[in-house]
Amino acid sequence: MSPTLWRSSLRHLLRHPWQAALSVLGIALGVAVVAAVDLATGSAGRAFTLSTEAVTGRATHEVVGGPEGIPDSVYTRLRVDLGVRPIAPVVEGYARAPAYPGRTLRLLGVDPFAEGPFRAYAASLGRRTHVAALLVRPGAVLLSGATARELGLRVGDALVVRAGGRDHTLTLAGVLEPADDASRRALDDLVLADIATAQEVVGTPGRLSRIDVRAPDGAAGAALLARIRGALPSGASLEATSARTGAVAGMTRAFELNLRALSLLALVFGMFLIYNTMTFSVVQRRPLLGTLRAVGVTRGQIFTLLLGEALLIGAAGTAVGLLLGVALGGGLVRLVTRTINDLYFVVAVRGVSLSAPALAKAALLGLGATLLAAAAPALEATSAPPRAVLSRSLLEARARRAAPRAGLAGAALLALGGGLLAVPSRSLPLSLGAVFVLILGAALLVPLATLGLMRAIRPLAGRLFGLAGRMAAGGVAATLSRTAPAVAALSVAVSVGVAVGVMIGSFRDTVVRWLQSTLQADVYVSVPGFSSTRSDVPIDPALARRLTATPGVAAVTTSRTVTVSSPVGDVRLVAVAAPRGVVRPFRFKEGEPAEAWRRLERGEVLVSEPFAYRHGLHVGSTVALRTDRGARTFRVAGVYYDYASERGMVYMDRRAYDAVFDDRAISAMAFFAAPGVDPDMLVQRLRARAGGAQELWIRSNRGLREATLVVFDRTFAITGVLRVLSLAVAFVGVLSALMALQLERSRELGVLRATGLTRAQLGALVSGQTTLMGLAAGLLAIPVGTMLAAVMILVVNKRSFGWTLEMSLPPAMLLQGVAVAVVAALLAGLYPALRMARTPPAVALREE
Amino acid sequence: MRLRAFLAASGLTAALAAAAALALAGGRPPRDAEVRATISAADALGGGDTAGFARATAPRPFAFPRDHGPHPGFRNEWWYFTGNLDGPDGRRFGYQLTFFRTALAPAAPRRRSEWGASEVYMAHLAVTDAAGRTFHAYDRFARAAVGLAGARAAPFRVWLEDWRAEGEPAPSGSAPEVRRAAAGSTADGAAPSERAPFPIRLRAAHGDIGIDLRLERGKPPVLQEERGLSRKGPQPGNASYYYSLTRMPTTGTIRLAGDTFRVRGESWMDREWSTSALGSDEVGWDWFALQLDDGRELMLYRIRRRDGSASPFSGGSIVAPDGTATPLSLADARLDVLDHWTSPGGTRYPARWRLRVPTAGLDLDVRPVLPDQELNVTVRYWEGAVDVSGTSRGRPVRGRGYVELTGYGDAAAPASADAPAPSCQNLPTFANATGCATFRAREPGAPRSGPRWARGAGLRATGR
Repeated sequence: MSPTLWRSSLRHLLRHPWQAALSVLGIALGVAVVAAVDLATGSAGRAFTLSTEAVTGRATHEVVGGPEGIPDSVYTRLRVDLGVRPIAPVVEGYARAPAYPGRTLRLLGVDPFAEGPFRAYAASLGRRTHVAALLVRPGAVLLSGATARELGLRVGDALVVRAGGRDHTLTLAGVLEPADDASRRALDDLVLADIATAQEVVGTPGRLSRIDVRAPDGAAGAALLARIRGALPSGASLEATSARTGAVAGMTRAFELNLRALSLLALVFGMFLIYNTMTFSVVQRRPLLGTLRAVGVTRGQIFTLLLGEALLIGAAGTAVGLLLGVALGGGLVRLVTRTINDLYFVVAVRGVSLSAPALAKAALLGLGATLLAAAAPALEATSAPPRAVLSRSLLEARARRAAPRAGLAGAALLALGGGLLAVPSRSLPLSLGAVFVLILGAALLVPLATLGLMRAIRPLAGRLFGLAGRMAAGGVAATLSRTAPAVAALSVAVSVGVAVGVMIGSFRDTVVRWLQSTLQADVYVSVPGFSSTRSDVPIDPALARRLTATPGVAAVTTSRTVTVSSPVGDVRLVAVAAPRGVVRPFRFKEGEPAEAWRRLERGEVLVSEPFAYRHGLHVGSTVALRTDRGARTFRVAGVYYDYASERGMVYMDRRAYDAVFDDRAISAMAFFAAPGVDPDMLVQRLRARAGGAQELWIRSNRGLREATLVVFDRTFAITGVLRVLSLAVAFVGVLSALMALQLERSRELGVLRATGLTRAQLGALVSGQTTLMGLAAGLLAIPVGTMLAAVMILVVNKRSFGWTLEMSLPPAMLLQGVAVAVVAALLAGLYPALRMARTPPAVALREE
Repeated sequence: MRLRAFLAASGLTAALAAAAALALAGGRPPRDAEVRATISAADALGGGDTAGFARATAPRPFAFPRDHGPHPGFRNEWWYFTGNLDGPDGRRFGYQLTFFRTALAPAAPRRRSEWGASEVYMAHLAVTDAAGRTFHAYDRFARAAVGLAGARAAPFRVWLEDWRAEGEPAPSGSAPEVRRAAAGSTADGAAPSERAPFPIRLRAAHGDIGIDLRLERGKPPVLQEERGLSRKGPQPGNASYYYSLTRMPTTGTIRLAGDTFRVRGESWMDREWSTSALGSDEVGWDWFALQLDDGRELMLYRIRRRDGSASPFSGGSIVAPDGTATPLSLADARLDVLDHWTSPGGTRYPARWRLRVPTAGLDLDVRPVLPDQELNVTVRYWEGAVDVSGTSRGRPVRGRGYVELTGYGDAAAPASADAPAPSCQNLPTFANATGCATFRAREPGAPRSGPRWARGAGLRATGR
């Protein structure tokens, strides 16, 4: 292709810097959001993998036990009586350092003499460190050099940590300086201690979290594993380490997939923008392109030229987007980590880690989206005969004719999307794909709907605003080729915003109602854990007795929450001891309540809705759990609504729990005040009795409800951020489309000015037009948003998390959507209107 | 004395870290210095002096079986079994199974976790196969907690994981009474208390190399030197309590790479406990434990000083067929090195001796059954089976025994204090070139020198 053609292309871009810049911005924002979400979830995932590897090391298998871990004696039996090696005892736990708020430290207790074959950094235990000191001195720990420096600690310094609600003073006995970067990162926030110290800090003397096993491949390894299995007590089992790591990593999959889908939406809006820009630039250059075709430039060359332009914009936007994405990712990673910690597991993430694949993926998506969006206008420009390209009215006429066809395609896509959703599958990608199909379908319906709306509005607008009103409505319809993409983009963005808002709102309302019906006691007591929603840390038994005896307490319900393993992975199990007469306010999804409670007392279990959904359970199904008496199965007596755990819970009567577990601890207590006792007064009394021996959360019913909702809102913070970002992209799109549109109409408007329209009238006309576009987008967003919200609540959420949410559709939310669309359009039309109004008619008439 | 001293005192402590890193890593310490320990012995010992520990300052009454058990007030202690055995067709084997106890602190703090420990055990297992010309050596470490390692007198048991020496349960419910043994005594026959730990069963294996032996009561315990007080240096307290079981008929099996051999022969056990031992000028020692076919046993050790001379605290004993022990002094014996062997690591060890004890009428030729019996484990030294021939009071005599050589790698050790490794070769760098076995005893007022962690580490070898 000749350089002349490229030069013409370049000149065009330079002549319309605003347009090019806005396109670049739109793509940049889209790419930035995609890259940021990818980097943030990737960083969290990598941090998790690294810290898992740091503590798993080269172990191939592990012996795990019941909720209380494994007795020391199991290790001694394996190592001394049976001579099994290499195996290593491990005690793991989390601790917070009050001096460093917001920091969760992972405590790893090992036996230095057994470590060699397991953890790489154990090799550096010997360097400049003090293994004997670790053994002899209670509280002696090692940190990585980087962590020690960040905490400002030197060897010999004290570090106070809080674990299990108690403070422990640790002493830094040495620092580890692993040679390679991966090991260094793995040691971030890891506190390495002798196993004795770890047991004391974690509060599990006599118990190991697990026993690591390194089995060789082949027959020797199989024989070793068989020997270990044969020696284990009924409460313990031997499992491959990969199983655990995989299961934990899999927990966040749905969460991450939803985030990715949301981020892709931002890119889709970016695509609208590119489409719009390219369409517009084709329209703008129709004389030039027509001439070129007439003088013999081939279709292929024109096509390449237009795609080349798009690619240039896309490349610039992608480059800027990647930079933005890295910056944005740093902010998002904190939100993602917070949510993961709240919902899934504890992970410490130190900022965003750049991953080349994630960046490459975002770049490819950005460029691909650009080319895809530009292909349609480019094809359009090349497929028409040379003379036709010259004619603008022909183009608009074609656009109007195309509107019903697009509408038909849109309707077909909507039907396809509906069909995809109706497929009886639990596949989350499928349902997210269906959502995208629905969005695309809705977008394709926009031109037709806009035409219809304008036709309906025109008389009304004429009556209200006279000629300007009629002209504005007519103008939107007359320039459909350029207004439709803008309206579609805005409309889809607003619908998604509405849908996500409705979904979160419905979720929140559901949770609020659930909390109101579930939280019946007056005061709740638990031990602060490392995640806001889960705590296995037991309440000191003596303290629990003291609290129970508080005057003014009418009844106490206690619960024990633990994680037990099962054939389907780790299961959260809650065992509740409720005094007679206390009504447990569950709402059952399946099972007759009275019957279910009776069966519960006979040793059957209840499962929460997400648990039942995940594992396909119904009343009468069985759940297998590994107990201290070996594997046991429990019949499901009922399925109850519960929004506390996304992974689901198994609910058991305490007596049934005590029959198969040796654990006698309690994790939480619920107090009912005696008649006439003020709950707030009871909170005060309980706090006074608790003293400072163990840090406890003692909260009134209201306090707990509020705290729960705080966590809820925090969990959805990232969703809200992504929603705003998507809207920002759409806004840029509308701005760009309107500006281009109005600038392109300068000649037409010049004629109007020359024929007597005042500046104010012109301004009103332009603003009116953009307002109408905004209104159209907003009105269209109501049904589309409602539809998307329903899909998200009934399908996507259900498939991701298994929760039944009651959809609440506040009119305010819908009106807010319309308002957002109108305001966005008005804002976007402001500058073009001002500029048009200021341009002297003569200049405008001269056009180019 | 032997290795034990250094090992238990200095080596063991210094080796802790390395062991942590490599104890199980394929049985061979990685060569890179990165992995090697530079643990501060002094810091590890919490101040590094002998404060709080008991000292061997004067002879004490020995009582068995009580004294077969541990002596927790002292910092270091060991149970040292060696023996020469014959398999089918006269196939010749040697074995060593040793347990070292080291207290890291004089008193264990009360802790909620049972893993809290103030004592660490190290064990060495070595098997010499003369016909196959192979030598296998392994080491292990464990804390004395949760049953991983420990020792007790009755019923007798010393163990580190599944390596163990155990007295068979007493046949009848006869509570073992405590019997006093006189210094240099010829303990006669078989009072129940002397029989108490016997037969002792030794079981230890690493992979497909292992021993399973039954040691019968032979001669009574010999209290070495001054009624069991063995002085290692001029300073009071630089001494150990030392007794030996010099001849125990042994039967059992040795497992070597898939083959199991029935074996029969004789074993020797040395027991020593101390808190500090070697003097500052001593670099190592040569130790001999020989069982002669005239019914006598000869124990001799020579502590080598930096200038090559023998310390006056060297010595030994001759045990008569009836068990009567006669102490030997440095002047009583003459030792000439006839040959040398250089290990793959470059350490040059003596490899054949002429040993004369004119007062006992002995003139012996002592030859290793294999030149390479260097234990290339966390703490490196040479300990191996030897053959003996010569004359006893003019008549031909033959015998077998074990020889231990320490402190020979010193010259080859790097001078840099940054490359310390807990091998014999490198230990001098810890101890400011005072020698493998000779972490200096720091007496009050003694000048401090050398790296901080070596100063006042309170690590002393023994030497009697």
